[in-house]
Amino acid sequence: MSFTATVGGREVPCGQDQPMLDAFLRAGVWMPNSCNQGTCGTCKLRVVEGAVDHRDSPADTLTDDERAAGLALACQARLRSNVVIETAGGGRATHPLRDLTATVREIQDIARDTRRLRLGLPEPLAFHAGQYVELTVPGTGVRRQYSLVNTADEDKVLELHVRLVPGGAATEQWIFADLSVGEQVQVTGPLGDFFLPPAEEDDGGPMVLIGGGTGLAPLIGLARTALSRDPARKVLLYHGVRGAADLYDLDLMAELADSNPDFAFLPVLSHEPENSTHRTGFPTDCFLEDVPSARGWSGWLCGPPPMVDAGVKAFKRRRMAPRMIHRENFTPAAS
Amino acid sequence: MTTNTTAVPDLSWIGDITMAQLERNPYEPYERLRREAPLAYVPVLGSYVATTAEICREIATSPDFEAVITPAGGRTFGHPAIIGVNGDIHTDLRSMVEPALQPVEVDRWIDGLVRPIARDYLEKFENDGRAELVSQYCEPVSVRSLGDLLGLHDVSSDKLREWFAKLSRSFTNAAMTEDGEFANPEGFVQGDEAKAEIQATVDPLIDRWIAEPADTAISHWLHDGMPPGKTRDREYIYPTIYVYLLGAMQEPGHGMASTLTGLFSEPDQLEQVVDDPALIPRAISEGMRWTSPIWSATARMSTKPVTVAGVDLPAGTPVILSYGSANHDTGVYEAPTRYDLHRPPLPHLAFGAGNHACAGIYFANHVMRIALEELFESIPNLERDTSSDVEFWGWGFRGPTSLHVAWEA
Repeated sequence: MSFTATVGGREVPCGQDQPMLDAFLRAGVWMPNSCNQGTCGTCKLRVVEGAVDHRDSPADTLTDDERAAGLALACQARLRSNVVIETAGGGRATHPLRDLTATVREIQDIARDTRRLRLGLPEPLAFHAGQYVELTVPGTGVRRQYSLVNTADEDKVLELHVRLVPGGAATEQWIFADLSVGEQVQVTGPLGDFFLPPAEEDDGGPMVLIGGGTGLAPLIGLARTALSRDPARKVLLYHGVRGAADLYDLDLMAELADSNPDFAFLPVLSHEPENSTHRTGFPTDCFLEDVPSARGWSGWLCGPPPMVDAGVKAFKRRRMAPRMIHRENFTPAAS
Repeated sequence: MTTNTTAVPDLSWIGDITMAQLERNPYEPYERLRREAPLAYVPVLGSYVATTAEICREIATSPDFEAVITPAGGRTFGHPAIIGVNGDIHTDLRSMVEPALQPVEVDRWIDGLVRPIARDYLEKFENDGRAELVSQYCEPVSVRSLGDLLGLHDVSSDKLREWFAKLSRSFTNAAMTEDGEFANPEGFVQGDEAKAEIQATVDPLIDRWIAEPADTAISHWLHDGMPPGKTRDREYIYPTIYVYLLGAMQEPGHGMASTLTGLFSEPDQLEQVVDDPALIPRAISEGMRWTSPIWSATARMSTKPVTVAGVDLPAGTPVILSYGSANHDTGVYEAPTRYDLHRPPLPHLAFGAGNHACAGIYFANHVMRIALEELFESIPNLERDTSSDVEFWGWGFRGPTSLHVAWEA
């Protein structure tokens, strides 16, 4: 048995055990969403009519008062009747969420404990640069999220950067173990709200992007997209890693710098001696040293939550408007 | 033989309350009133005072009470002021002011009115690294927004601020003698001077708008709902102009400054609001509860003998409604003295209740919202300058007297 959820005049069928967000995205109806595991609260919406089962919605993200007031997390809630919902930024058309069977084209060790995966798609996938996909670990039902490195026109071969997690079901036990070229992989996407405004709404203002480790991945797609819109745009891309062995794609970054005069790639090493050829310390501190005022800039942060939090603080300290700060947290996998 | 073991509190302390004490910090005596005598006669005010949420709401919405202006308020505004009249005159005055304040109407122009004003004032200091927000931002944005809406474009913001301050001191010059006379008649002099200046400024505008109606609030008050060729008499609308020039000018500034002060007391909550402007309306609502700008400025009078909260009141008994106290009622709010953005969003009484509830609630909330949005957009690294304290003042109307802030420019 299934029900329908109506938002902004669109009626979307929703399976009994299907999260509301999943149903909307598959129907091509945009809902704000980020973590898809109930921890960030981005997909919070109001159920105006009808009933939902909050399922695994954490009490920290959706309080009892909010539940009583009719709020729900779209990524967790299942329908118990037909519903009518209201949401702040939702309801407009977007790239539909899809399930595709991809083929592993390439597995490459690119840095310490870091692999590049290239996945060939049977047909193009529409997405925005900066969004992410979920891979299903075969035989386990475990799903893990990886940001797309690609720009939107690179829609047939997806590139992902994967960092080894000791004991990780998707990494140590799969991608860094027996996964090989030619194998098939279940891909679900695109997901997330970490992407540039549409070209016609993009003011072309300066950008700073800070990635921690493989948090660099979506920033590459974002920076390349922004520079293709305006090659003279000021774009600072900081890559925070522990040591030189964690750096990768330096050639690609050098090429970007050659063809875009105001682009700079700035690796920052946290565990290298002061006399390193690279800058040392934390990328957010380097940003504070480099940029006296970030008024009119946009900021893009992807990495572990402490780095993202430090980045938000640094951006505001340089007076970047909060609405121009975009963040993608690497949150621990849901159990 | 039995004895009554219920302790009857000794209420003689109520007779010792002074105006100076109330204006400095009314919370302490009002907390004790809520506990010991939630509807009590307070000699210095020459009036009964309601201090709990339940009693304030009961009286504000009771058919056995009607509006009455406090003696000092009546002395300041004259008759018929919209806050102190009833029946047909009240209905007419509400029908005069309400069309421009309806949500659908306000939504049409509020952003275009307030946002440029907020930007203008921000540009004057946003690169200075320090500011005193009450005088440099909260009050100017409030008075300029309403001043332009009323049609007072040519009256400077500083003049509008001076007027509300003088009217406010006159309105709250509440102390009474035992004989029922004003204890400090000289406290009305500044308000009278302000009113003379207001009339000298507004009379020529009214002359012009009578001949040439304009899309300003005061012009609409003159013409709307009147037969062709007729306008409302200016003496009839002046008291309500004074209501606006005091409360509606002053209180959004108070509300903004109190909300900011509350947020500064909870730095994590300030950060959440700066990061997510969608939280600003909730932050303002809690700021209005925490330090209600119209703390104790409205009153009702019984129209027949009534018993409220066990107190028998003869017909014609005035009761001052202390909304600022009601909003700290521990029967409703847990730890009410703490600013807490995340407390359950229970209704508060900052905008009053009943048929005299604030007509400008929607307008005022949006003025405050837009002002705080622009402030945090421009200065997301705002911090309180802790080298000076924030001092609140006022019993009738209450808010920070100054709010020094600093940031890395």
